[in-house]
Amino acid sequence: MPQGDYIDLHRKRNGYRLDHFERKRKKEAREVHKHSTMAQKSLGIKGKMIAKKNYAEKALMKKTLKMHEESSSRRKADENVQEGAVPAYLLDREDTTRAKVLSNTIKQKRKEKAGKWEVPLPKVRPVAEDEMFRVIRSGKRKTKQWKRMVTKATFVGPAFTRKPPKYERFIRPSGLRFTKAHVTHPELKCTFCLEIIGIKKNPNGPMYTSLGVMTRGTIIEVNVSELGLVTPAGKVVWGKYAQVTNNPENDGCINAVLLV
Amino acid sequence: MTIVSTCCPFGLSNVTKCINFVQIKEAKTMVKYNFKKITVVPNGKQFVDIVLSRTQRQTPTVVHKGDRICKLRSFYMRKVKFTESNFNEKLSAIIDEFPRLKEIQPFYEDLLHVLYNKDHYKLALGQVNTAKNKISKIAMDYVKLLKHGDSLYRCKCLKVAALGRMCTVMKGIGPSLAYLEQVRQHIARLPSIDPNTRTLLICGCPNVGKSSFMNKVTRADVAVQPYAFTTKSLFLGHTDYKCLRYQVIDTPGLLDREIEDRNIIELCSITALAHIRAAVLFFLDISGSCGYTIAQQASLFHNIKSVFKNKPLVIVCNKTDLMPMENLSEEDRKLIEEMKDEAMKTEMGASEEAVILEMSTLTEEGVMFHVAMPKSRDDQERLPCIPQVAGEKEKRKTEKDLEDENGGAGVYSASLKKNYILAKEEWKDDIIPEICDCHNVADFVDSDILNRLEELTSEESLRKAEEEEVGFEIEGEELTEKEKNDLAAIRKKKALLIEESRLKKSNAQNRAAVPRKFDKDKKFTRKRMGRELSSLGLDPSSALNRARSKSRGRKRERYDDLSNDAMDVDVNDDEQHKKKKMCLRSKSRSLSRSRSVSRPPHEVVPGEGFKDSSQKIKAIKIGHKSHRKRDKAARRGEADRVIPSLKPKHLFSGKRGNGKNQRR
Repeated sequence: MPQGDYIDLHRKRNGYRLDHFERKRKKEAREVHKHSTMAQKSLGIKGKMIAKKNYAEKALMKKTLKMHEESSSRRKADENVQEGAVPAYLLDREDTTRAKVLSNTIKQKRKEKAGKWEVPLPKVRPVAEDEMFRVIRSGKRKTKQWKRMVTKATFVGPAFTRKPPKYERFIRPSGLRFTKAHVTHPELKCTFCLEIIGIKKNPNGPMYTSLGVMTRGTIIEVNVSELGLVTPAGKVVWGKYAQVTNNPENDGCINAVLLV
Repeated sequence: MTIVSTCCPFGLSNVTKCINFVQIKEAKTMVKYNFKKITVVPNGKQFVDIVLSRTQRQTPTVVHKGDRICKLRSFYMRKVKFTESNFNEKLSAIIDEFPRLKEIQPFYEDLLHVLYNKDHYKLALGQVNTAKNKISKIAMDYVKLLKHGDSLYRCKCLKVAALGRMCTVMKGIGPSLAYLEQVRQHIARLPSIDPNTRTLLICGCPNVGKSSFMNKVTRADVAVQPYAFTTKSLFLGHTDYKCLRYQVIDTPGLLDREIEDRNIIELCSITALAHIRAAVLFFLDISGSCGYTIAQQASLFHNIKSVFKNKPLVIVCNKTDLMPMENLSEEDRKLIEEMKDEAMKTEMGASEEAVILEMSTLTEEGVMFHVAMPKSRDDQERLPCIPQVAGEKEKRKTEKDLEDENGGAGVYSASLKKNYILAKEEWKDDIIPEICDCHNVADFVDSDILNRLEELTSEESLRKAEEEEVGFEIEGEELTEKEKNDLAAIRKKKALLIEESRLKKSNAQNRAAVPRKFDKDKKFTRKRMGRELSSLGLDPSSALNRARSKSRGRKRERYDDLSNDAMDVDVNDDEQHKKKKMCLRSKSRSLSRSRSVSRPPHEVVPGEGFKDSSQKIKAIKIGHKSHRKRDKAARRGEADRVIPSLKPKHLFSGKRGNGKNQRR
């Protein structure tokens, strides 16, 4: 026993107090009541947190009890029909498949031509212009109101330089410019922090697409070289589309879902 | 560090020299670590709870949607910054208080490496540092974003996101915090070995008697057991010799192994040997009762002799009580001689006796430090001197002595009544009753009771004497017959009046003159009253009318006037009578005690849709019939008040700060 363990040393040499175990047992029994009074008396946020914790424990306890109560019972098993199973009178027929086998790339090209993509968020709430822009007064007497400042998250490319301040109509504040997005792969269910290459389409209008505004439902292009995807032909895929799933101006970050 | 101004007239080179000098000076001042005063490292979840509840308590909590935008922004920015500064403060405290391995004594550095693994330790502290930086960065980013927040909701979302991200970072370093807490608990209990003072280091094979020597020489109570590796860590003790304090370090036993194969316990002792400049006492067990022969012990010695360089070495042959030195075999003696030669090499010019010692810790033979007895100066014997008074005092016999004499604590019980002072001696053993006639005797006990009794009796006798003198009349004169009758009549009348007033009072509350409990059979009817009054010879009609009018609606008179209106001539008498009856019977009239009657119900108003009054009357009848049954059953209808929820949650739930929830 190390030299500093005084309590353990004393216990080893002198043993416990005569009433030690009794007191310990009673103290532990009283804990339950103390916990209960504390839970009943606490007000405000503390009370809510205690209640939440207690509820979680209760739910877990109920689940375990139910699990213990489960007994192995024998029930009639419904025989699942196997796929491709065929009734007896059709057994002799040959199955003809009439599908046209097309390559994946041709399908994608067709889709692109049609301009229709299967996206996770097909419909989003439209954003009005007064929500998107804020009017900035300019001029000597602050009467001119032709300038607008964007209030949503934006993406400007790396080669972006502002127009001369006198002529720029849309101001994109640097505090609201984002370069990275948290992209989730829908099948792998894991999230990566990937760089944004560009904005493909903003559902609120082509003007916003050209400005680079990112709202919920915007399709962006992200740099997926980190994931190491490869085309069937053997080429490395480095850009893929993703759709923004949150409101970036409220959360301070861009969350997107990769479109596979 | 003061910044030397560049506009100093001495030139740039001198300035740089000054700066360099200051930097060097700073490097020399080392940080003082106190292992026992490291603050507790909370675990990840607790850490988050502590900081967030602090933010909730110490920043303003109320903000309104209608406030100016700058006020909203500053409110939320304050919260983000406050949380960040708290995290920063606590994480910096951890990083500063835990010793940095490069800056402490090499002995401690090695010891900590042996115990906790240097790499793991550094990694943990590094993670804490990165977490601190990450949190600062998060706070900075979100404060920048908050400047663009234009509504309360947006600012609030941003603050929630900022705090949430900080807490996620803390969640990530949870395992490191748990590890650091364990290290802290262990490090605080290490014995505080000073590597710079006079030290004696005791080493040797397991079970040779190192710890028992330690116990003899110092006050450290080291566990001594027959099995090997009883001592599992370094033990520290202090001892004095020739007015100088020496530190004695007891190490766990060493086995004859390669250094790579050694376990943590052995490495502790190796570290101590390597770093502490001390005199080394190498213990040998001559008897071999430790389980290792002298040959094995000698080989161990030769393995680790490289560590003994530059340290004064003493070979100690222990357990001479079991096997005296003379009985040793030749080979053993040779081995010991070899070790002695080695020891002599290290000792710089010391004599042979100092190098090798024989001792037995059991019989305390040869153990160097023993109980100090003052050396006698001369041959005079001095006895202890006891003063005379102490011897002469006669010891009084106490109760305790009595008890001891008569059989001890359980057998003898002292008689508490022994010293009572009473008028007669035989009263001492009397039993005093406690209750007498349902009273407590103790309440009536009085020490002066006899005196009082005497006083009272004398008073009483005096009073009696006075009374007999006076002799007054008790009752008044006798009443005459007439007066008696009058008195009786007056009393009767008084009773009657009282009854009357009571009746009046009760009737003022509109209660029946004869309450129902006295009239269960309903015998007191109007008819009976009429019969009785007529039997008395009085005219009952006005009384009957009055009784009737009180129990029914009032305004029959007015209708009578109406009906006798001269204008309404065409109406048949029979019809009139029927209508009157209808009117009298109809519920609306009888129950309502309204003063004004606007329209008789059977009168057809043009907009109602009735052909004539008989149809209307029929319709009224059907209407009454439809709800008569339900009304009799006294069930709730559409017009009755409905309480949608008898126990609304907002009135029956919720805690109170002070007060009870017994009734709300």
